Amino acid sequence: MAHEFPSKEWTDAYAEAVNGNEAYRTAGKDWAHGTVAMVVKADESLGIPADVGMILDVEGGRCRGTTYLQGMGAIEEADPAFIIVAPYPRWKEVIAGDVDPIKAMMQGKLKLTKGHLPTMLRFVESSRQLVVSAKNVPTRFLDE
Amino acid sequence: MTAPIELDPGAEDNGFALMLADLLRQNLEDHPDKARDFARLSGRVAMVVEDAGVAVTLRFDAGRLVVHDGIVGIPDLTIRAGSDDITQMSLMELLPRVRLPDPRGEATRRVLRASREGRIRMYGALANLPLVVRLTRVMSVS
Repeated sequence: MAHEFPSKEWTDAYAEAVNGNEAYRTAGKDWAHGTVAMVVKADESLGIPADVGMILDVEGGRCRGTTYLQGMGAIEEADPAFIIVAPYPRWKEVIAGDVDPIKAMMQGKLKLTKGHLPTMLRFVESSRQLVVSAKNVPTRFLDE
Repeated sequence: MTAPIELDPGAEDNGFALMLADLLRQNLEDHPDKARDFARLSGRVAMVVEDAGVAVTLRFDAGRLVVHDGIVGIPDLTIRAGSDDITQMSLMELLPRVRLPDPRGEATRRVLRASREGRIRMYGALANLPLVVRLTRVMSVS
């Protein structure tokens, strides 16, 4: 069954996909740098009235849990170590596997608004594998 | 003390410019020993990420840096590479005492291979070796 993106169900399915990705387990095995929030910017035309945050509690190559939040205030209060923000169409490209996450950041498609960039660069393969995992989630997009 | 690294007003929408400014700020905070190299950097460095279609100019002026969108002025050094190879350049391992790239390091070997294969191209490097060495030191996350 396809899960609507973004939603709590999609976020939970994403965690399962991350844990099912052997390559992520290897690339992220030394990750002990905190949670990662993917934030979809509010878009009234798509029925997203407030920013949506999907927070992944990743450590040691595993996703230990997720949090789904609405509103940037709530997301910031959850204090994720990393916050990556993009509008809906950009996340759609990432989930479809059409863009490399670091290249997308260089192009300004994804913005790291909080977090230690040198750490993220050290774990570049881990970031890639998170994207590969997203591709494996059966996804229903709001604009399709 | 926060390093004086600024974005030129036109660079605020350039993701690569934002990343480089953040990377250099955080590297200088994490490794205060890089401050000496940063203070001695002078010159213009253009970096072109070919597969991402973005370019920046780093204008170093003895302890200050302004990051510009696109190529501004005549660069002393120009680096052209793909996004993956540019990322590897920032991951190059440095030898502890001389703080030059460690040829045994995985990222350094990748960068050397990419240079040999023409995927990383540097123009002006031979004429500006101190600039290349100092830039490598301040950009490296190691």
